[in-house]
Amino acid sequence: MAKEVEQKNTKAKRKKRKNPALIKKPESRVPGELSGLLSLLIPGLGHIVIGEIGRGFILFGSIFSMILMFVWRIELLAHLEPNLLSMYNKALSRRPVFILLLTFGIILLWLWNAWDAYRIRKKREYNRIKIFILVIAVFFVLGWQIGEINPYKMITRFPETLTPISRVLWPWKAAFTHKTLRVSAKAAILAPPGGNPPPPSVENPNKPYLLAEPTSGNLSRLDENYKMIPGTTITLTGKNFKPDTKTEIWWIDPIGNKFQLRQNGKYVSVITDEKGSFKMKVIMPYRLIPPSSKGKMIHHVEAVQVSPVGGVIINEPLKLAVSRMVETIFMGMIATLFGIILSIPVSFLAARNLMAGSWVTLIIYYITRTIINIIRSIEPLIWALIAVVWVGLGPFAGIIALTFHSIAALSKLYSEAIESIDPGPIEAIQATGATHLQTILYAVVPQMIPPFISFSIYRWDINVRMSTVIGLVGGGGIGFILVQYIRLLDYRAAGIAVWFIAITVALLDYISSEIRRRIV
Amino acid sequence: MLSIKNLVKIYDDGTEALKDVSFDVDDGEFLIIIGLSGSGKSTLLRCINRLIEPTEGQIIWNGEDVTEADSNHLREVRRQIGMIFQHFNLVKRSSVLKNVLAGRLGYTNPMLSLINRFSQADIEMAYEALRRAGIEDQAHKRADELSGGQQQRVGIARALMQNPKMILADEPVASLDPVLAHTILGYLEKINKEDNITVLCSLHYLDLVQRYATRVIGLRNGKVVYRGSGEDIRKMTDEEFKQIYGEEAERVRVGPDSSEDVDGEKING
Repeated sequence: MAKEVEQKNTKAKRKKRKNPALIKKPESRVPGELSGLLSLLIPGLGHIVIGEIGRGFILFGSIFSMILMFVWRIELLAHLEPNLLSMYNKALSRRPVFILLLTFGIILLWLWNAWDAYRIRKKREYNRIKIFILVIAVFFVLGWQIGEINPYKMITRFPETLTPISRVLWPWKAAFTHKTLRVSAKAAILAPPGGNPPPPSVENPNKPYLLAEPTSGNLSRLDENYKMIPGTTITLTGKNFKPDTKTEIWWIDPIGNKFQLRQNGKYVSVITDEKGSFKMKVIMPYRLIPPSSKGKMIHHVEAVQVSPVGGVIINEPLKLAVSRMVETIFMGMIATLFGIILSIPVSFLAARNLMAGSWVTLIIYYITRTIINIIRSIEPLIWALIAVVWVGLGPFAGIIALTFHSIAALSKLYSEAIESIDPGPIEAIQATGATHLQTILYAVVPQMIPPFISFSIYRWDINVRMSTVIGLVGGGGIGFILVQYIRLLDYRAAGIAVWFIAITVALLDYISSEIRRRIV
Repeated sequence: MLSIKNLVKIYDDGTEALKDVSFDVDDGEFLIIIGLSGSGKSTLLRCINRLIEPTEGQIIWNGEDVTEADSNHLREVRRQIGMIFQHFNLVKRSSVLKNVLAGRLGYTNPMLSLINRFSQADIEMAYEALRRAGIEDQAHKRADELSGGQQQRVGIARALMQNPKMILADEPVASLDPVLAHTILGYLEKINKEDNITVLCSLHYLDLVQRYATRVIGLRNGKVVYRGSGEDIRKMTDEEFKQIYGEEAERVRVGPDSSEDVDGEKING
């Protein structure tokens, strides 16, 4: 048929237009030598002159921005040098590989660009891609330096992270403690010696007992050269302690400060024998005595046995993590609920098929879409920062932030669901003589319920996940305590929070996908 | 009785889908509209109950001009005219029963239908319609769990719920295989004869047209190019056939069963 033939013709024409090999470029009058020279003067200029405008601008833009960034990095590396050349030399000495690579890269690219302009004019066929591989390579070298990528540091510093990582990974030591029984006995010691030393402790067969000998002596002190002069060695004899138990030795100074004795960098401790006795020697420790308290003072040495007995105590970090996790889940839930309620009306305004009726509704559609896209493009964390200023620290700020973002995200998803409904049933219901409202109820709503539920659950999932981090900026929830623990370097407590986040998110992921699978 | 007078439809993009189409349909007829895709069959059918607004012309349905009807009146007209579709147009996620009940919406108080209530009589009627269509046992399945043929029966049951005086069928068997096509059209024919419901049906397969039509109208590029009785079309020559469909049309043998001696024509447009 004639029509068919015509169609085939237009198809062929379209094909022709699509294939760049068949485009006849207008012949440029500029000779290849000139275009090459122009591109050598200003990168890309030769290309533009011979009609390769896009290529010219890309080459000019890349080379220009490369040089700017190169100068910026040199300036950062050597900002104290007086002129550009000495700056370059200084930078070269500090980062030789980077500077050399970039210098050669940019020069090579510049020359190549000139040759490219010449060759394009001279020869019809040329390789369009190779030069851009170099462009990308140079940008990559720049990016490596700007990003301060340092694999060496990454490897050498790794051992330092082992302790915090292991604490975060297995934080449960901080979660529970046992009730403990403390058994102790003290002995008094006079320092410095002289006058009447305190009498030795009296032995009592039913009570732990600690005998110090002698009961007076000198503390360790520093001489003029800050060299430690050890104090008097004291023999400690303990009796009636718990047998076979680790016993720590503590020192109590006259103003009541307690500290565990250290000798040769190690805490002093002893294990009692089967009768609960021990005998050991300790050197009197160094104490900084304030000048006002010169004179003879009574110190105490104390032997302490701490042993766990029975009941487990749940520690504060665990309690806090549980309560904050509950708070987090509710934050996510409430934000989702508000988001759903508020985004349903908005989504109708943002559905093109419903709003295409007249230009007034179309304008409303575009305005709604624009606002939604702006709100959606701002991360919930930033909304939380604003909300914290608005209503103060706490979960409410987090809920506001998440609700804002949910409204925008859900409106977009819902409106797309509305846009993609099958018009067939609408037509069929209309044909039965149904009213407009009945048509919506029987043809539109049933089609929209599954995506609505699916998107809502998905959003709930996202919101709970987001609410775990929204606390980082003060928006309440578990992130709030997480960031505090990290700043206090309490990695075990932080680890408990991380565990709760991981468990909750994994569970939620599973539940939400399961619900969606069953409904949709 | 339906009579179409000088019907014209020009779409917003300027496409002239119907050009001065006129014909009459007597009560109880099984009128088949044939023509290539894009010849205006669907537009014509949808203009009759104004799912598509005609640009010009009149549609006289039992003495009243449908094109003049206000929205309340239009709904009354629509509920007397059932419609079935090529892609069945069921609400896929709703149950079969609910889809059938939707055919009753024109008779239901809009307030009651808001809370999803249908009268007991309507529900019994729906079961009866499903029983007649032979899919009573599928009533509580989701519509998209049914096979194509079953879905089309649901579509017909929905149309029957309207107690229609006429059924518009827009390519009702184009998505079905030839065997099913015969079952569905046979069912429509039964309704046509037993309930005396007028059927206006657009079709692709010439053998089906020859088998079921009491009258035939051929459309080409929005114009009526052929009018004939069922007898005429059974005697149709290749020349007439090509006049409707164009030179590229060729006869293809299709039938419900290869042993049955039915000459079928498929139009390759």
